[in-house]
Formats: sequence, structure tokens, C-alpha cells
Amino acid sequence: MSVLHCRSLDLRIAGIRVVNKLDLAIRPGEFWGLLGPNGVGKTTLLKCLAGLLEPATGEILLESRAILQLPRKLLARHIGMLQQHTVYVFDASVMQTALTGRHPYLGYWEREGPDDLAMASAALSAVDLEGFADRSVTGLSGGEARRLAFASLLVQDPEIMLLDEPTNHLDLRHQVQIMGMIRQRTQEGPCSALAALHDINLAARYCSHVIMLFGDGDWCAGPADDMLSESSLERLFRCPVERLESPSGPRFHPLGI
Amino acid sequence: MMPTAQRRLLFLLLALLSVGSVFFAAAIGSVTLSWEQWWSALMDSGSAYGELVWRIRLPRAAAAWTVGALLSLSGCLMQVLLRNPLADPYILGVSGGASFAALFGMSIGVAAALLPALAWAGALLSILIVFGLARGEGPWSGTRLLLTGVVTASGWAALISLLLTLGPDGSLRGMLFWLIGDLSYARLPAWSLVMLLGIFAATLGMARSLNVLAMGETTASLLGEPTRKLLWVVYLLGSVLTAGAVSIAGNIGFVGLIVPHLMRLLVGSDHRILLPSATLFGGLFLVLSDTLARTVLAPRQLPVGVVTALLGVPLFLLLLNRARVKQ
Repeated sequence: MSVLHCRSLDLRIAGIRVVNKLDLAIRPGEFWGLLGPNGVGKTTLLKCLAGLLEPATGEILLESRAILQLPRKLLARHIGMLQQHTVYVFDASVMQTALTGRHPYLGYWEREGPDDLAMASAALSAVDLEGFADRSVTGLSGGEARRLAFASLLVQDPEIMLLDEPTNHLDLRHQVQIMGMIRQRTQEGPCSALAALHDINLAARYCSHVIMLFGDGDWCAGPADDMLSESSLERLFRCPVERLESPSGPRFHPLGI
Repeated sequence: MMPTAQRRLLFLLLALLSVGSVFFAAAIGSVTLSWEQWWSALMDSGSAYGELVWRIRLPRAAAAWTVGALLSLSGCLMQVLLRNPLADPYILGVSGGASFAALFGMSIGVAAALLPALAWAGALLSILIVFGLARGEGPWSGTRLLLTGVVTASGWAALISLLLTLGPDGSLRGMLFWLIGDLSYARLPAWSLVMLLGIFAATLGMARSLNVLAMGETTASLLGEPTRKLLWVVYLLGSVLTAGAVSIAGNIGFVGLIVPHLMRLLVGSDHRILLPSATLFGGLFLVLSDTLARTVLAPRQLPVGVVTALLGVPLFLLLLNRARVKQ
């Protein structure tokens, strides 16, 4: 049960201010949506939270320990990240790729055991890739590769999942399947998630909390119901937005510019 | 993934063929021995052909096996390091440094026995230059290492051309054979086997880390690897393997590129299977190539580097084509 804290985090990349004095706590049970226009630094923020980049100032704590001080292997058992793109240069089987999620739990010389194989098989079934185990990753479609990357993350089984546009390339069924799985993990286990999303309606339907990056370091964060409004989304995307009521909650619809 | 039983069978087969090839190579050459002569020479080093087998042919075949294994293992590491299936052990300039030093030795008439030591010195110098220049702060950049290495290699190549131009005519043939790669005078130093076994064991232990590294540096970091450290370790181990091979036999081309690639086509890219099979097959391949180099135009001997390329190119194209058909 770990909380991920940001303390007055300043983050810049290539001369762009991503966030200015960000204070944020991602607690077990929360599913955060990360919204913002293209190029505002959503990926940079996720990478920073995953310990891949060092912030200009401020710190990121897992419980009370700075993540950059933790051994990478230990960190990988707590924080996992789905990257925006996955490129396979070398051939590997789907099963072999799913099993890489067990890497942080295994030592030098150690092999995956039956439990690890069972976890990987279960994860592949969960994303509708059963029967793909022996296929080559280089022959997968974009959506299948995306689901495989998510399956590897499930196998890694981190308490905190960071996801960079998890629904990219996915058809409707698999979009809701994966968003549903992330929400279920946060509701049932002591887990949390933060997902960069472009689909506001997926955020409205699945996320408990939302953080918006406006550019130039401005940000705001809070419960999804308070955050998602016509005015905030119009300011965020510089595009007029219409709010529609549906039986399952509000939906947002872009109007022409 | 290959089932465990099948994997063991493959390793056993390659190991038996490797040992077999070394002893088989001792039977043939400019003087081909009958089975009885071969057997009695093996059993008794004092017999008629004992000297030939034990003092000349077996050491040379064992050296060929070791050099092939060193180069193939190094090739596997370089390909992961640069995430490029076209990388070979010589791409980052190690062999350039070694060759320059050895050729320089030849041109000033240094004793042949000292050439391996000179080659080692040149290789280490080159490793230090590349390591020092490509290191620096900031995130690891594979491109920077590749460029630094390739440019360093070009620098050595220019210096080597200069030596060939200015060097005394008498030493040109020796220089050329060194550059092509030749096992005529190769003997098996004990350190090379120790080094091969040590680095092989170390890299096999971290084979799973190499698998995630092959998926990219970011992925490796996210899966818990201290990526920067891992990359430098892979670079240093791969370079030392290359230095060892080059110091024994010069620049034998193609083995370190083709054997890892070929084994990837055959057994897949899980390094736990790839590293042992490429190492064993690399040794076997070079023993067979060298045996051909000694015999096809006997009593003339070809530099083995010519044979590795002549054998390797068609074999590789054939397998590549077969793999494409299968897909």
C-alpha cells in the first residue's frame, strides 16, 4: 500500500515548462486521468514519476523515500509504466514478451517458474491474446501489440501503474476492456493508476480523479466530477465543448472551432 | 520458447560437434592421416604422427574454436548493445586499434611472439578512447557510442592504410594476412579459454537482462535494470572478447556478424539459448572454415578470413530466404 507523492515538483523539457510546483498524492484506490493538449508534457511527467527523468527541483516520494534513491529493481516492483510506443527490433514470442514483466522479481541466473508462466498466461487471456503465446511479436497488429504491452504490465503487477495513452490503437471493445481492468485493479487491490488520455469521455467514465496540464507550468488536479466541466475543458483544449447528459453520467462533445 | 529437453539436446549436439570437429581437424591437412594413424597419434604423442597432431594441428584447431567462440559471443553482445542486428565485434574500433598496433610491430620488425601483446595494447587503447569519449554526463546515448566507435574505427583504418603504404615490402604479406585473419601461427593461450569461460558464464547469468535490454533502454529501466551500468558492462565485456580474438588470429571477418544472426534465425532471440548456441556454433564454424583453409589448395594455406566469408555468405542468404518463406 504505497502512496506516490510529488512535492513542489518543477519539470521542464526542451525549454517547455511542464509543471510548476506540482503537489500531488496518488493514493491506493485512485485512478487518475492526465489530460492536456499535444506537446504539453504528459509523457514527460509520466516518465518523471517512473523515475526515468530527474525533475529540475522538487521531489517524488514513494511513501517516504525518494524514488531516485531506490534501487531500480525495487522501484520496478512498485511502479510500472506502459509506454506510448513499443518497437520490437529483435524477434521474440508473445509469451516471452509477456514474461518480461517478471524480470524485476527474478535474480541473476534465475529462470521463470510455473507461477510466473501461469501469471503470464492469465494476463494474455485477460487481454484476449490467448492462443497467441507462440506467435512472433513482429507479426502483431498495432492493437494486438498494445494489448501485449498492457499484458506485460499486468504480469509486472505494480501497485502504481503509469499509462501513456493506454487506449491508442485499440478498438472499442478493447478500449473499455482495458480501462475497466485498470479501474478494477484500483478498486479491488491496494493499487493506483495514472493514465494520459485524449478521450475525455473515457476519463469521465472511468477515472476517479483528473489532473490537467494547461501548458507553461499551470496545472490543476482534483476529483473527476469537480474537474470536468465545459469551461475547464474549453480552457484546456482551446476548443468549445458541449456537455451532454447520458444515463451513465456526463459526456463531452467538441464543437467546431 | 524452446522446450527444455529440446534446448539441452541442441547444446549437447553443438558441444559434441565442437569437440569432434577439433579432433577431426587433426586428421586432415597437407598430410592426411588414415584412421589408424590418427588414432595412434592421438593415443601416443611419441608415435609417427604424434608430433604433427599434438604440436601443430590440435593447438591450431583449438585456437580456431576459441577464436570463433570469442567472436560469436562478442557479436551477440554488440548486437544487443547497439540494438542493431547488423552490428559486429569490430564495429566500435577495437580490432582497428589491435591491428594498427600489430602492423606497426611488424613494420619495425618486432618478434612475432610479441605481436599478440601489442595487439592487446592497441585494443585496450581503442576501448579506452571510445569509452572516454562516449561516456560523459546525461542520458546514455547509443547513437553517440556508435558514432564514436565507428569514427574511431575509421581513424585506425586510415592509420593502417598509412602503414601499408610506408611499410617495408617484406612485411606486407604478413600484414595482409593479419588484416584478413589467419590462424597459421595461432596457438591457444590458456588465458583465452579462461577469459571465454568467465565472460560466457557472466553473460549467461545476465541473459534475461540482455533480453529486456534488446527491447530498448527505456523498457529495460522500467523493468528494473540499471540500464546505464548494464550497457557499459556489455560494452566492456564485448570489447575484451574481441580484443582476445584479434590478438590471437587477426581480423577474421564475418564470424561475429553471421553466427549470432544465424542462430537468431534458428533458435530465436532469447539470450539464454542464443548465447550458448552462438558460442558453440561459432567455434565449430571457425574450426571447419580453418580446416578448409588448410586443405582446399594444400599445400598452400589460405587465410581463414577468406573462407569464413566464402562459406558464410551463401549459408546466411539461404537461411534468410528460408526464414522469409516460413513467415
